[in-house]
Amino acid sequence: MKPAPGSVFRLAICLSILGFLGRAEAQVYQGKELVKAELLADTNAIVPGKNFTVGLLLRMAPGWHTYWKAPGDAGLPTELKWNLPPGLRTIGGLQWPIPLKTNDPGDIQTYGYEDEVFLTQEIRPGAKIDDSRLTLSAEANWLVCEKICIPGSANLQMELPVSTTSASANAELFARYRQLLAQNWPDSKTATANWSRANSELRLKVTSATLSKYPAVDFYPIPPENAIIGHPQIGARAPGEVSFRIPVESPKTLSAIPGLLVFAERPNGTDRAAWELELPTVAPPRVLGHARRVISFLFFGFIGGFILNLMPCVLPVISLKIFGFIQQAGQSRQKILRSGVAFAAGIFAWFTALALVLIGLKIAGRDVTWGGFQFTNPYFVLLLSVIVLVFALNLFGVFEIALPQRLSRGLLASSERKDDLGSFFQGMFATVLATPCTAPFLGTALGFAFTQSPAVILSMFLVIAAGMSAPYLLLCAQPAWLRFLPQPGRWMLRLKEVMGFLLLATLLFLLYVLGAQRGVAGLIWASCFLLIVSVVCWMKGAFLTPGAPAKTRLIAAITMSILLVLSGVYFIDKQFRATRYAAKEVRLQGDWQAFTPERLQAELNQHHPVFVDFTAAWCLTCKFNEQSVLENPVVRAAFQRHGVTKMKADWTNGDPQITKLLQQFRRPGVPLYVLYSGRSDKPIVFPELLTKGIVLEKLETLSASVVAK
Amino acid sequence: MKTKSILTLIASLAVATLWAIDVPPVGSNAPDFSLTDAVGKTHSLSQYKGKYVVLEWFNPECPFVKKHYGSGNMQKLQEEYTGKGVVWLTIDSNAPDTEGNITPEQAQKIMSGWKTHQTALLLDPESKVARSYGAKNTPNMVIISPEGKIVYEGAIDSKPTPNPNDIPNSTNYVKAALDESLAGRPISNAQTKPYGCSVKYKSS
Repeated sequence: MKPAPGSVFRLAICLSILGFLGRAEAQVYQGKELVKAELLADTNAIVPGKNFTVGLLLRMAPGWHTYWKAPGDAGLPTELKWNLPPGLRTIGGLQWPIPLKTNDPGDIQTYGYEDEVFLTQEIRPGAKIDDSRLTLSAEANWLVCEKICIPGSANLQMELPVSTTSASANAELFARYRQLLAQNWPDSKTATANWSRANSELRLKVTSATLSKYPAVDFYPIPPENAIIGHPQIGARAPGEVSFRIPVESPKTLSAIPGLLVFAERPNGTDRAAWELELPTVAPPRVLGHARRVISFLFFGFIGGFILNLMPCVLPVISLKIFGFIQQAGQSRQKILRSGVAFAAGIFAWFTALALVLIGLKIAGRDVTWGGFQFTNPYFVLLLSVIVLVFALNLFGVFEIALPQRLSRGLLASSERKDDLGSFFQGMFATVLATPCTAPFLGTALGFAFTQSPAVILSMFLVIAAGMSAPYLLLCAQPAWLRFLPQPGRWMLRLKEVMGFLLLATLLFLLYVLGAQRGVAGLIWASCFLLIVSVVCWMKGAFLTPGAPAKTRLIAAITMSILLVLSGVYFIDKQFRATRYAAKEVRLQGDWQAFTPERLQAELNQHHPVFVDFTAAWCLTCKFNEQSVLENPVVRAAFQRHGVTKMKADWTNGDPQITKLLQQFRRPGVPLYVLYSGRSDKPIVFPELLTKGIVLEKLETLSASVVAK
Repeated sequence: MKTKSILTLIASLAVATLWAIDVPPVGSNAPDFSLTDAVGKTHSLSQYKGKYVVLEWFNPECPFVKKHYGSGNMQKLQEEYTGKGVVWLTIDSNAPDTEGNITPEQAQKIMSGWKTHQTALLLDPESKVARSYGAKNTPNMVIISPEGKIVYEGAIDSKPTPNPNDIPNSTNYVKAALDESLAGRPISNAQTKPYGCSVKYKSS
């Protein structure tokens, strides 16, 4: 029967609407449907600010399979490339269910999925979304194999309404696949994993009473890129213990392999569960108990925070604060206390904010590192330069932020509060400046914290803040000690101006960093902007004074705004942004080579010893080590004598490859010095503060063991 | 009867273990073999001593193999290096009744149809040679020095995909290794992770 034209039309409308709701696409091969691909969400609407999950459902024809992210001896992982509308972003990576392990004739092992697989992705909507509907698109690529393999792909779309409420959708499917996700490695009471190396194989020993209940235990490796490994073989299985042997072809330096420890009633059972084993800590052997280790590192954090006060980059601001104390010496005890507490609060606020941001990034799976993650960003450095310049001009008396007469009276409650706010921001500012001076203590403590839970990270930052603010709080608690400070007078004005020059010196350092990041052109455009900022400051001091007529003030305010916006748009947004990252090679001197992972591997393949200097232009400790130790003639000669290839890994711009390596060494930032012997033993990691003695001694051990061999 | 089946089981387990460990590493002597080509002529590895020999595992049905033949990449490599005196042996080790197994007639058809330039396309339906080299993938590449040592094994290039558009942006490891060898330099990347379809061994 022929349908009426009207019903065809209605059908077409229905189909087109259904299509937007998430259309399934089919991969057809020789008339047979091999894979059906579809996007599905766990919600019927997007609620701004509320995370939801979207998944790629692949349904395979019977007998056909697709692959896991580490496919094994053959095959190709399924790939999902998102194209999300503004307002949506992905959180973390694609989540893969625990795969099935297949053994094919010829000792071919692969990891994949049969019949069906659901790969999920968490999505975070922004807090405010203007559209009433959003379309999520993704390109999926996969390889589906039975006896032969056929690549397939689909461009998938899904539309969801934006609403203030939502109900869950596809709950059964999401729940079923959530069951199949690997869990984080449990705490050390439940299970421990130990890696060791024997000749050309790695041994993994897992101790856990839980595993005794499961007859089938296996390890699914996720080998790092370029690593060539054999199949894990189950060695001894004792009650509460299982060990695996994994042959390693290359690289010889591999000391552990991430992967899943899978356990079930039977191999490939539907009840299968897994713990995800990440790269283990290269940390020192467990001499102390975990809690004691945390406490001792928190102690180092406190000491490190205290030492931050003496760092050259913070000193100017700290001097400001001490100057403030002198000024307050004659004032009421209560007022001094309040100002001190406000300053400490500023320090705490910044460190807390930093801790929360880092925890957030860590949870979201981004590369997280300390010192650098701010200073690798040129805009952050630029912002800091502006702040430092404005402070310096303020100290020189080019303009005043508060009214001098009111300040000196210090009577009004409101201006007192303003004063406290000033102390608060001074505290924050001091801390921001402290960032590049990751003191040796602090580096160790933070490096440890990053391997820990969010609670430990937060307490670590708080302890550092406590260490840094300790001297001020002490002075506040014992204001009697302030008596020993001299009386206020004309000398204070001079001191203020001298502090201004110290800030200008800090500005020089920041500009040096900018130059290292963006070359001379970037440096000049940034300086042009800074010039306009000074003009604006001068205008503020000259025309925008409280005593000036209202008309003058209005004109001044408008002119200042226009100047700032225009110069910001032209110098920064147009010119500065267009400058290129300075070529790394330019800064390399003498016998140093630029570090690349490939170059390192090539040298190690030829069994050459290699020394890698992880450095950055903004890292003062690095510069100090380089000038005083690494470039010392005796040390240079020693490197040459031992035939060590020297490489510089320049992290000024936050190179992600270098970030990855820093993380492998469990370091949050630079400096880091590593000596590879060129043989299969572990690389030697140097302390953060180098001395000639240490470097020469380690180089000697290198050649001693070569001779012994 | 029962004893016999247990013995068979033990024997096959032993064989399986042997397969598992019998992957000759780079630097070791290349196992000798003797196979017939598409026209029935016998080629043995020992007869090519004194020359560089490339072994290329092949499956005409495999999308990763098709990537390199469909784009002409493999033919170009074969033509260039056989022109420089290198012996290029393409080997089909897929067992009968599996996808990719070919008869001599089919082999001839593929060679003329795809305009290939290898020295010979060898048939290894019992997967003996694949087994002795531990070859698991198509394409899997091995380079043997004139002294009969394995000097390279692994992937053909750096992009493990079936997409021919990736070829221009990938590093061809075989080309690099051959260029370095022919120039008398050491091979900088002597072992890489092979990628592709699995070699279809006979199910036992």
